[in-house]
Amino acid sequence: MKAENKKEEGAKTGRTRKFKVYREDPTDGKGGEYQEFDVQVEEGMVVLDAITYISQRVDPTLAVRWNCKAARCGSCSAEINGVPRLMCKTRVDTIDGTITVGPMRAFPLVKDLVTDVSSNYEIEKLMPEFKPKEGISSPWRMNEMDVGRSQEFRKCIECFLCQDVCHVVRDHHAAYIGPRHVVKAASLDMHPLDTLDRSEWLTADGGLGYCNVTKCCQDVCPEHIKITDNAIIPEKERSADSLYDPIISLFRRFSKGKADRKQ
Amino acid sequence: MAQKNIAVSRLIPSEFFEPNLRLYSFIFLIAAASIALYLFPVGEFKGYIDPFYSPTILVLPLVGLYRLTCYAYRKDYNRHVFKHPVACPVYTRMDGPQRSYTGETSSLFKVENLHRYFLYSAIAILPFFYYDLVLSLMYSGGIILRIGSIVLAVNAVLITLYVFSCHSLRSLIGGRKDCFSCMANASGRKKFYDVQSGLNAHHEQIAWASLVFIVFTDLYMRALSAGIPLDHVIFHILKL
Amino acid sequence: MVAYDRVETDVLVMGMGGAGLRAALEIVSRNLKVVLVSKSLLGKAHTVMAEGGIAAAVANVDSKDSWQVHFSDTVAEGVYIGDYRMAEILAKEAPERVYELERYGALFDRTPDGKIMQRAFGGHTYRRLCHVGDKTGLEMIRTLEDRVLHTGNAKLLDETVITKLLACNGSVCGAVGFSLRTGKFIVFECKAIIVATGGLGRIYKVSSNSHETTGDGIAMAFEAGAELRDMEMVQFHPTGMVYPPGVRGLLVTEGVRGEGGLLFNTKGERFMLRYSPEKKELDARDVVARAIYHEIQNGNGTEHGGVYLDITKKGAAFIRKKLPGMYEQFKEFAGVDITKEKMEVAPTVHYFMGGIRVEPETARTNVNGLFAVGEAAAGLHGANRLGGNSLADILVFGRRAGISAATYAATSVAPKLDYREAEAEISRINSFIDEAGRGSTNPYEIIDELRDTMSSKVGIIRNGKDLNSALQTITVLKERAKSVTVKGGVRFNQGLLGCIEMEKMLLVAECVVRSAIYRKESRGAHTRSDFPNKLKEWKLNIICARNGSKIDLSTVPVPEMPEELNALVKPEVYA
Repeated sequence: MKAENKKEEGAKTGRTRKFKVYREDPTDGKGGEYQEFDVQVEEGMVVLDAITYISQRVDPTLAVRWNCKAARCGSCSAEINGVPRLMCKTRVDTIDGTITVGPMRAFPLVKDLVTDVSSNYEIEKLMPEFKPKEGISSPWRMNEMDVGRSQEFRKCIECFLCQDVCHVVRDHHAAYIGPRHVVKAASLDMHPLDTLDRSEWLTADGGLGYCNVTKCCQDVCPEHIKITDNAIIPEKERSADSLYDPIISLFRRFSKGKADRKQ
Repeated sequence: MAQKNIAVSRLIPSEFFEPNLRLYSFIFLIAAASIALYLFPVGEFKGYIDPFYSPTILVLPLVGLYRLTCYAYRKDYNRHVFKHPVACPVYTRMDGPQRSYTGETSSLFKVENLHRYFLYSAIAILPFFYYDLVLSLMYSGGIILRIGSIVLAVNAVLITLYVFSCHSLRSLIGGRKDCFSCMANASGRKKFYDVQSGLNAHHEQIAWASLVFIVFTDLYMRALSAGIPLDHVIFHILKL
Repeated sequence: MVAYDRVETDVLVMGMGGAGLRAALEIVSRNLKVVLVSKSLLGKAHTVMAEGGIAAAVANVDSKDSWQVHFSDTVAEGVYIGDYRMAEILAKEAPERVYELERYGALFDRTPDGKIMQRAFGGHTYRRLCHVGDKTGLEMIRTLEDRVLHTGNAKLLDETVITKLLACNGSVCGAVGFSLRTGKFIVFECKAIIVATGGLGRIYKVSSNSHETTGDGIAMAFEAGAELRDMEMVQFHPTGMVYPPGVRGLLVTEGVRGEGGLLFNTKGERFMLRYSPEKKELDARDVVARAIYHEIQNGNGTEHGGVYLDITKKGAAFIRKKLPGMYEQFKEFAGVDITKEKMEVAPTVHYFMGGIRVEPETARTNVNGLFAVGEAAAGLHGANRLGGNSLADILVFGRRAGISAATYAATSVAPKLDYREAEAEISRINSFIDEAGRGSTNPYEIIDELRDTMSSKVGIIRNGKDLNSALQTITVLKERAKSVTVKGGVRFNQGLLGCIEMEKMLLVAECVVRSAIYRKESRGAHTRSDFPNKLKEWKLNIICARNGSKIDLSTVPVPEMPEELNALVKPEVYA
């Protein structure tokens, strides 16, 4: 039994796999290319294992961003055979043939596999902050039935894979803040004690109208957040309420007039 | 996995791996309906009313707009007609910076924001499908259940499910509210919202199923009126 | 001439985890300048890995809970060598910090009557952990991150490595580092520094920690003259993943055993019946960890060096409902369906109780202007940490460190920084880079050897022989480390980062080993087979201090608690 196991193991670990890893240093102006590496694979190995092996043992100049290696921090985002994925969550044995690893193309390249994702924090700064109701007695009370929707969005690990896969952000550079930030807005909007409605802001400043609900963001989310169905479409509906619905806007004008007259 | 998809997609158009049957069936339906309506009118046959000839036909444009502005169909035509993008893997998406793009911000596509009004009209039309069903059951006096009635019933149920799994409805019944517990009958409404959300998760599949079934229903009725003996009486209770 | 950027600030915060971010908020609110520096990207710090919750006696679920009970649990579980004053502050202030986090926008799970939900955890008398599913740390860091970003006055330099703290006349006055993204060196001038860099879990091969937790802050503070304490206290979690090798050490939550998971050795024996006939699998973490360790040592472990954890008998539906995270983790990483197959588990390094010695109220170190907080600081947890106390720790003491650093910076004059010292450090870092390679050593060879040594010789059960052998290895590695060089530039050079982390790791590892040799008893997380008993004369804290290039060890007695606090805690028992 034991010998058999060993044999199987040997067969598995003895294999090397070909990795094509994108190399470019934008500061030297030489352009980029894929460099091939042969890496010995072990059972259960993930793509990040191979990449860190290369950067620690073969070529330390290979730039790569990673940290927890447990799919919790969202650092090691990359495009593996053209699909935006976390390197630490992509097992080598789920891919046949050569494994091509490239950086997230939606962001400016820093070096090799590392991109500059700082634009996301700039967007986050612009997002209207959580604004709770005033004068509620502390400690706050909230009903469990009201917190679930927002909590789904709080699972986001900010890997920015959804931003990367979004064709609006990636290809068209339209004034759309991208799926991650709509999810963030939704997480604040759907907080039961938040008083703001960010849907108007999302449409006017965030370019929500550029999203054409093609759902690639929802497909790549490693946390399985239903980005389009639960965040983007509800925010689109809310912005339809506040901006496009003629009856609601009539009604609002009427009730606002009434309130004004009262004052 | 991804590698496999890419390899295969070079032989066969990648659309075939996408849930785009809805779109093709929709185009087919519009074409078939137009031809059928004007060239081969069937109308009523032994108490069955072909869905295309029931009063719903009067509002066919609204039904068409309801489907056209539906989030499921939007995904389909944005992917497969406009190719923005065709697919998610970056090598096969057929989208790029060289192509201009306005998404749903252009004047024409701002109509998408009025999906809810088409939903309202779709809800208004729903009872007619059941009315037609009842007529088929009452044919010949007494109550008669035939296979055709079952076809009509399934058709009605599928359309009902499609309408009630709508994203706009989801917003209307609770999605737009931040606080369920603040509403009257909180737990009931939350339950309704949850059930509807469960349906909504399958909106794309239901949209397609109901579309296909309308065509099937139409074909079934046509077959009957052409004299093909498909129908069968399951039971018949005569008027007492 | 060396090129570098200068960054001037009032307070420099090292680390962008929960503690660093919470501290920064206090500094910003006092209209002082603050710069936050982190090795990783903003929002990726090890805080995101915290699952269980924040321990705070808000008594929402068990009305009998109070700060007194929380205090008593913390002191007793820390085996009486923790800082009672820190435990008292934590127990008293944690509830307000939790409510504050909620006001910042964190969305906790709720009780049926709408209060913050609390869950039970090992060592806590009552259900005490306020939580957001199993992602409490993530929620905490996002909330604080959001808040800091919106203040607009905090300068965030993420992906920046600090290599040395600069002192002038016994006070800190700056630091040297470089940006991974630009490759530029930076000299920081500041009045105060807060070390919030977390622990040192990655000096071990098998660890549940993020890979950036290499003890940098602790090492740099030590080099700047700060005293370290309780360095022998490394917490092992009984169950970490074993196979595949890539995820070895990844945490398998205590919840698996809580929901009925049983431990077996390769002979099919449920060995916990032998080690702990009463509490069995659900005994304290150190007891279960030691039992698993013994089984593996005695040859009853799997070929990958683990034992079996089996929950299959509970049925697929139950497992997927109660342990969705674990189901997903094993399925994705190991290809193991835990509803049908047994898990392979072994103890894994989880937390570091030791660290920089601080004043309990102010988080000040013995170096003027240097403050430490969170896992980098020591004292609160004593010889053993309670689950959930670490998240409470970073909020409570993060705030306090922020306040006292701000107060200090506001009242002190900026010391004159000696730029020659900064330039010397930059040259030293640059000297690691050598295109020719000189046929030298790869830093990761040394790091891997250090990790192997720490895991095999400074593990759960220690003995004088192994510890001394580990010390010898470290001495040899330190010598070999002198010949380390790497190719390439400064920007995102994994090799260069390895060189810097290697130095810090070797230093803190030496402190851990020396302290472990020094403590000749078994207490809490520190178990020695050659001194198996807890001893009254060792109710002491071991202090590591720098003496030139040497490490001086000494002991200080644990301060006596005032009578009213002493009365709350069950008395310590010696065998």
